[in-house]
Amino acid sequence: MTQLYETMVLLDNDVVRSDWKKAKAIVTDTVSKYDGTLETCRRWDERRLAYAMNNKHRATFYLAYHAMPGDNIPGFLRDLELNERVLRYMMLRVEECPEEERKLAAEEDGSEYTVPEPPDDDLIEVEEEEVIDPHEDVPTDVPAEASATAPEPPREN
Amino acid sequence: MKRRVKTMIGSKNCDDPIIDYKSTEYLEKFLTPQGQILSRRRSGFCTQCQKQLKTAIKRARHVGLLPFVG
Repeated sequence: MTQLYETMVLLDNDVVRSDWKKAKAIVTDTVSKYDGTLETCRRWDERRLAYAMNNKHRATFYLAYHAMPGDNIPGFLRDLELNERVLRYMMLRVEECPEEERKLAAEEDGSEYTVPEPPDDDLIEVEEEEVIDPHEDVPTDVPAEASATAPEPPREN
Repeated sequence: MKRRVKTMIGSKNCDDPIIDYKSTEYLEKFLTPQGQILSRRRSGFCTQCQKQLKTAIKRARHVGLLPFVG
């Protein structure tokens, strides 16, 4: 049975920066691969995340309304799960596509629409930790006095 | 001894527009500074609307729109 779904996908900003059509195709191609019918799809927003995902502070939110047969849902979700460019996704069953969404999606499809460039501060700087090798050679230039055996403590009677 | 009554954010929140996980500014009003969901007593919602609020906040947390903690 075919149902209408609302899918929110968080896309990696690196893909959006390099090619918006390619980023869009991550969702649209996956929907069409599993016999889905897209009602609307649009860039919802580009935001700072409340917590980091895959070492990223920011992401582009892509919102799609699509119909899909129920049997194809597990495969569809698995494809999104395995895609490295998808930081996170959420799929909800809805009754109908809002009229406002259709308008906004139509505006985005127009030729005048340009995707704003995502800010650069989306990557978390990970500090490199110093690796200590346990098999590293112990320094051999220890002075002779230091290497001599320590004097025995006085015995108590 | 008088019982201290905490002020509600809105007494008739049920008349507000549909609670959606995408309206994060609205949902943030029902979170404590630590990120916990306000109780029904403080949020002013009825049972059904409080359940909707809970679901919406949890969905927003899942997609990174709202924090789990603080």
